Amino acid sequence: MSIITRSGLPLKDFYGADDGKSERPGQFPFTRGRMANAHATGTWIQRELSGEGDGRRSNEQIHYLLEHGQTGIDVIGDAPTQSMLDPDNPLARAAVGTQGVSLCRKQDYIDLFKGVPFASTSISSSVPAIMSLSGLVLAAREADFPIDKLRGSVLQPPLYVEDCSYAFHLPVEFRVRLSLDCMEYCALHMPKFHSYIEDTYFFSESGLYPVEEMALGFLQIRHLTRLLIERGVPVDSFAPRIAILVNCGMDFFEEIAKVRATRRLYAKMMRDEFGAANERSLSVAISSHTSGLSLTAQQPVNNIVRGTLQAMSLVLAGVQALEISAFDEAYRTPSKEAHLVGLRTQQIIDLETGAARISDPLGGSYFVEQLTDEMERRIVEKVAELEALGDPNALASGGYFRQLFHDAMERGQRRVETGELPVVGLNLLQIPDEDDTLLKEVTTSKIETWHSQTERIEQFKITRNIAGAKAAMERVTAAVGTGENLVPVVIAALDADATVGEIVTTMRRALNMAPDIFDSPLP
Amino acid sequence: MAQEKISLAVMGMDQHENGVIAVGRILREAQMSTAYLGKLLSPGQVVDGALSHGADVIGISCHSWEYLTLVPQLVEELRSRNLNIPVMIGGSVVTADDAVKMKNLGVAAVFGAGARDDEIVDAVRSLARKT
Repeated sequence: MSIITRSGLPLKDFYGADDGKSERPGQFPFTRGRMANAHATGTWIQRELSGEGDGRRSNEQIHYLLEHGQTGIDVIGDAPTQSMLDPDNPLARAAVGTQGVSLCRKQDYIDLFKGVPFASTSISSSVPAIMSLSGLVLAAREADFPIDKLRGSVLQPPLYVEDCSYAFHLPVEFRVRLSLDCMEYCALHMPKFHSYIEDTYFFSESGLYPVEEMALGFLQIRHLTRLLIERGVPVDSFAPRIAILVNCGMDFFEEIAKVRATRRLYAKMMRDEFGAANERSLSVAISSHTSGLSLTAQQPVNNIVRGTLQAMSLVLAGVQALEISAFDEAYRTPSKEAHLVGLRTQQIIDLETGAARISDPLGGSYFVEQLTDEMERRIVEKVAELEALGDPNALASGGYFRQLFHDAMERGQRRVETGELPVVGLNLLQIPDEDDTLLKEVTTSKIETWHSQTERIEQFKITRNIAGAKAAMERVTAAVGTGENLVPVVIAALDADATVGEIVTTMRRALNMAPDIFDSPLP
Repeated sequence: MAQEKISLAVMGMDQHENGVIAVGRILREAQMSTAYLGKLLSPGQVVDGALSHGADVIGISCHSWEYLTLVPQLVEELRSRNLNIPVMIGGSVVTADDAVKMKNLGVAAVFGAGARDDEIVDAVRSLARKT
């Protein structure tokens, strides 16, 4: 495709000074983008977060999205799945399938990915990494697709997950081990798969500012990178498969500067501090999700406008994958209607506006360049401040991050209440409830609790090969003790029809943890 | 007048805490004694927590539809233990229709998205006076 404007003016791949000194896209330090010619390497991965009910229902959602032009998949589990509980756990029953898909065994993953074209689809997941990675491996095997060709990603939030997301009651040292095991396993067996997405989205939804968001992100990247190098895994074998999933709020230019500063900082850090030499280790892929926190329950149609502006800023910043928080976010995981609006928004930006025709169209703007420099400086300063506090594992177990997120929530709410942060329709320019009807019905429509999945799992636990599942769980116990990589052991346990809740409970027992409300009874 | 005591909690698998932390701060700044009992709690655990805090009012934050199952269980738990502690709930997922259902089931006050601080504070004061 030639790149010209509507009037036929030819466009270059990118624009910059011809002084030989200015930064260029596709070159170190990659501030201006991973690639020199964005249009030649294809557009960003366009996807919407999906998942509801059981694997079969979510499979229908995935096919619907793919049929409508989605180019990647991102699956979220229901709350029990996110917390690695089986649906028959008493705490879980009322939440099965309502805010994501229920996944606790091999068959669920096979159902979820049935008929998905693995060769042409990037498969990402927001489900705890060790389980979603293992489930994907088994589903690919079922479809006779080689795992070394799988593309996609999993999230690794070991330092922060217990404190502002879906807790699963495992100690931080063990959570870190699980993350490193996934990264090591993928470096060996799944070279095209992003084994470590640094997800700065979920914890910044507590109300952190963009500088804080990226500082915590870099703190964790640095921590895991150091530990994996200590294990003897070469940096260039895993760094190319680290990516960062950033949040995007309403401060249009600050978000663009954040992404540009992040790429630059990452490149410098990997080269200068960790000795990475492979060019792909230096140019980090940025994935993105627009902020659910910035959306309102009032006048949900306004959320479409917010999502559009946020997506536009991410496209101008040159991200590799994008998801828009759907307009019904305040009430539910996305409805079919909201999914399509999010997807169409991305397609309109891509196909009609031409915003992605050239790399880094805002590069060289005095404002954006200075803001980028200032963001970089402040992120570095904040990372240094956090690292001076000591071992990140100790900070996590000592409650430091929990307090930080708690304070951010209070600060954010106060700013909205006082009007310091204007939110149209919420703290100014409100309309009466009786006039607030547009899209209200679809926004507030509910997904019923998926009791049939709970019943199916109860039945499955009786009829499966119990001896095989028990033997596989004994292997989990042994592997927790020896320190061997847990990914193959978890794959084998799921393959032997042990459930996610049982596997995690086995891990807790092997770690000598006290009985827990999250425990599943073991066969 | 004695300081009002309110115990706040999030039940079931709902793990969204922004709302409960914001409400906790609003009530604390209104000079009330607030205890955040935490998340991942069962209705029974909320009642136990409220009793040890000596709560006048229980406040439940709802950002998942589980509340439609769990809040009625909480009200029933209080009844079965002969406890007269009013329950108030709030959260962005609470629709106007569901608010009516919850009130009919015995929930004392319901707040949806966009409730004002002073409305929440006034409701706690008024409910605490009745206990």
